[in-house]
Amino acid sequence: MEQATPDPERQLQPAPLEPLGRSDAGLGVTVDEEAERAREEGSGGDTMTHNNFWLKKIEISVSEAEKRTGRNAMNMQETYTAYLIETRSVEHTDGQSVLTDSLWRRYSEFELLRNYLLVYYPHIVVPPLPEKRAEFVWHKLSADNMDPDFVERRRIGLENFLLRIASHPILCRDKIFYLFLTQEGNWKETVNETGFQLKADSRLKALNATFRVKNPDKRFTDLKHYSDELQSVISHLLRVRARVADRLYGVYKVHGNYGRVFSEWSAIEKEMGDGLQSAGHHMDVYASSIDDILEDEEHYADQLKEYLFYAEALRAVCRKHELMQYDLEIAAQDLASKKQQCEELATGTVRTFSLKGMTTKLFGQETPEQREARIKVLEEQINEGEQQLKSKNLEGREFVKNAWADIERFKEQKNRDLKEALISYAVMQISMCKKLSGLHLVWTNSYLCFSAL
Amino acid sequence: MAGGPPKALPSTGPHSLRDMPHPLAGSSSEEAVGGDSTPSPDLLMARSFGDKDLILPNGGTPAGTSSPASSSSLLNRLQLDDDIDGETRDLFVVVDDPKKHVCTMETYITYRITTKSTRVEFDLPEYSVRRRYQDFDWLRSKLEESQPTHLIPPLPEKFVVKGVVDRFSEEFVETRRKALDKFLKRITDHPVLSFNEHFNIFLTAKDLNIYKKQGIALLTRMGESVKHVTGGYKLRTRPLEFAAIGDYLDTFALKLGTIDRIAQRIIKEEIEYLVELREYGPVYSTWSALEGELAEPLEGVSACIGNCSTALEELTDDMTEDFLPVLREYILYSDSMKSVLKKRDQVQAEYEAKLEAVALRKEDRPKVPADVEKCQDRMECFNADLKADMERWQNNKRQDFRQLLMGMADKNIQYYEKCLMAWESIIPLLQEKQEAKFPVTAVLS
Repeated sequence: MEQATPDPERQLQPAPLEPLGRSDAGLGVTVDEEAERAREEGSGGDTMTHNNFWLKKIEISVSEAEKRTGRNAMNMQETYTAYLIETRSVEHTDGQSVLTDSLWRRYSEFELLRNYLLVYYPHIVVPPLPEKRAEFVWHKLSADNMDPDFVERRRIGLENFLLRIASHPILCRDKIFYLFLTQEGNWKETVNETGFQLKADSRLKALNATFRVKNPDKRFTDLKHYSDELQSVISHLLRVRARVADRLYGVYKVHGNYGRVFSEWSAIEKEMGDGLQSAGHHMDVYASSIDDILEDEEHYADQLKEYLFYAEALRAVCRKHELMQYDLEIAAQDLASKKQQCEELATGTVRTFSLKGMTTKLFGQETPEQREARIKVLEEQINEGEQQLKSKNLEGREFVKNAWADIERFKEQKNRDLKEALISYAVMQISMCKKLSGLHLVWTNSYLCFSAL
Repeated sequence: MAGGPPKALPSTGPHSLRDMPHPLAGSSSEEAVGGDSTPSPDLLMARSFGDKDLILPNGGTPAGTSSPASSSSLLNRLQLDDDIDGETRDLFVVVDDPKKHVCTMETYITYRITTKSTRVEFDLPEYSVRRRYQDFDWLRSKLEESQPTHLIPPLPEKFVVKGVVDRFSEEFVETRRKALDKFLKRITDHPVLSFNEHFNIFLTAKDLNIYKKQGIALLTRMGESVKHVTGGYKLRTRPLEFAAIGDYLDTFALKLGTIDRIAQRIIKEEIEYLVELREYGPVYSTWSALEGELAEPLEGVSACIGNCSTALEELTDDMTEDFLPVLREYILYSDSMKSVLKKRDQVQAEYEAKLEAVALRKEDRPKVPADVEKCQDRMECFNADLKADMERWQNNKRQDFRQLLMGMADKNIQYYEKCLMAWESIIPLLQEKQEAKFPVTAVLS
């Protein structure tokens, strides 16, 4: 289990400046200034100067979704959705964008990319993917993955995912990410060739570490606690919101029943007829207005969902820290025990239990030569162990430093994004209230006009 | 727009501008009541939402107000115009002040009836008596007996399922009081019924029970004669106009029944929606407790949703208390009107039968016998009374439903305005930059 060292092969030159925040189709990533500086300083290992990709402003969009059929690994026919990813570079001077790359990817490839990033950047809060299956649905929405509304929302979510990576100062430099956007064929093989699956930590190991680690950094413990709570509260919120949407839909739809009966009533009335007809019509308009309202609200739910899944990513970083810390503690413990063994052998006292000691007792004392040999081996091991401990310590501190930097970045992003989400939610409610209030007012005015005739 | 038909009296009864505020009056009624006698030409006044200078603390809601151009104030103007063009009132009746009486045998509610009149039929200019539902029921039966050719307004339902409805709850009593008030006002407005002796006794007698026991026969001539109309006469042809009224009432009651059912369903759905909203708001509070910079915005949203929930609750209550009872009242009205129509049919049938009998006797004398003439008289009076009452009823119905529908629309508008204000008030809170508040070293901010 090693932390991926910044590999020049995997990284591209410059980094973008501003993080993006929200997913808007085709937002650009400005990389120019950084690129300039990098080239001047000649920093970084291999400079991919032959690749001008990152030296211009780029726009990424997931512009289309298409149903496909194909054969899966078990040679069975399956239906899946493919998404078109288009990358454009924007000319500085005239702002025109030129399509540089366009390819199709399916959800599983996005997953592969993300899993790769999780392994190679364990200190980064990796942006989450939109949900695999529709959850927190209310009755009108289909839970079917092939449903066009679901596909559309997923398209937006995937685009957002890519934009988040592209705007991340470290992740955007990753070569595999670059190839994801540019190399249609063989990309999967390329990823697998990195052997990242082997480097992944086993879940069992991670779980073990969580329970056994003695001195994790308190900040990470607190952060993990926070991410658990965040996940719990957002789930609750989304569940209740879905129920609220369901009920609201019911209220509006029953109003729709008024339309017909008011119309029938108006037929038997003389003076009241027109007014009643108008009332019926307005009831119908009212009833049908719920569809737009709830569609807008789904967008808000998606924004919350992203942070629900981000909580998981946050927890992953904490777990990684625990794992590293545990590893360190074990190594230190191991070293300490070896040192003690060595000491005992040297001084002839036996305090610690060792198998050798046991067998010695059973089968007779060892010779001084044998003992010397053993001490030598132990000393070598101790040396090695000390080196390892030193590097692990270094690694650990680097991890904490880098991880915490990214966590701070993430916190700012989260606060910004969620505030914006709440504002647009409030704006949505305001516009809905105005619209519906206006509708009633129009109706009352028309009724009063009719009845005054 | 103009003043409405001058002959029709608004069914909600005469309003002493000082004593009786308009049922729909909110704070905006001041402008309507302020003696504005010219009809407003600007029915299509647009509401402006940004006009209010209400400064709301986070999550605060103003007490229920309606904005200046609300439909209720427009309605006030129309109503007043009708009043001013109508006849001068000389009889005012109000039902209020319900009180619970606990006796050994039973518990019941009485209502205060206040009467002010300049009519000669009343010895004093003002009366105040207490009556219970039973008394209203007695009055209605007496009116039906003594004025069978007229349409008697309905009473709210007599029986309530004991387990389901609390007869002594504030809401129930208030709903009933309103309906009883309406009942008396309708009689007050009626040019014939308002002079009925039973009505007078009801309004003035200290102890109604004495009169009930005495069973004073205060039947009018008409009442007496119609009372003796035997059934069993088959009606040959119903005059078109009465047939049309019958058909109309059938369909009318049917449609109202459907509307009532829909309204009940809406209320049920709204209540269920409210339950969910009441759970939704607090989750934002829970979240707020986890956060630093986001704590205030989230708390703001929670309070906002709470305010919207309260507004919805008020709307649902209004619908139950104001909308449904009127629908039910008109359904009951239709039923009682149908039975009056039947009676009329019988009177006509008797006349026709007698007439035919005379014709069959083939007497030389062309003169029609007295009793046949009496029957014809009866029938023609009945027809005339009924036609007049129908016209009055139609006018009142139009006004009542206008008020009802506009009232509901207005309540809805008020609901949306309350929600609007709640959300608008938190926008500045959400946009606030919180710089020095939360230090960077804080773990969760």
